[in-house]
Amino acid sequence: MPTTPPIKPDPVIEAYQKDIERTLLRENLKLSPEERIRKLIELKRFAIELRRAGRTAKAHR
Amino acid sequence: MTDFEGLLKSLADGGVNFILIDGVAATVHGGARLTEDVDVVYQRSEENIKRLAKAVIRLNPYLRGAPAGLPFQWDKETIERGLNFTLSTNLGSLDLLGKIIDGGCYDDLLPHTFELELFSIRCRCLNLQQLIHVKRAAGRPKDLEAIAELEALQDETDSLHDRERTRNYD
Repeated sequence: MPTTPPIKPDPVIEAYQKDIERTLLRENLKLSPEERIRKLIELKRFAIELRRAGRTAKAHR
Repeated sequence: MTDFEGLLKSLADGGVNFILIDGVAATVHGGARLTEDVDVVYQRSEENIKRLAKAVIRLNPYLRGAPAGLPFQWDKETIERGLNFTLSTNLGSLDLLGKIIDGGCYDDLLPHTFELELFSIRCRCLNLQQLIHVKRAAGRPKDLEAIAELEALQDETDSLHDRERTRNYD
């Protein structure tokens, strides 16, 4: 099987890594791939509802 | 909202050979970031292009972000003349890529994929190591945080495997 070249350290990416919420990743790793996609869909629905609620609240201010 | 399940089913039901990449692939690997579209690399064989044309025409595709009313026609000839298409469809945003930077085409990527079942369909997804590689190669500033997450996922996955191996030895 062909191998992918090893990952070289990148200071910019490493700086971003400090802020990655690893507990979320660990929770996701307990799920199956399909459960992960279903969770993404639920989060998307939630994000859309939040945006809608925000727009409505602004319109009534 | 993008209908992830509907888009994947449309491609799979149409018999299209494709590989999941980018945001949906990151989610498959455990990523926690939201994504707006489905990105796939499709095989550029004549038969697959025919299947892709047929599968996607039902979704009423149009070039995403292009002014309305352009004489855009989604068919085998259009796919053959082009390579990478960013489309809006009835089911949401769909990016169909014939080739990606430093990853190549479908056949080049195939050895770096694995098969999985999603929504009762079998499809192929780019492995985590190659996903990191091609995202780094793309060199888009907007990807830096996503790459950091993928690399953190790689660490977490490696640690999980190490712990499993240790348990098996005990």
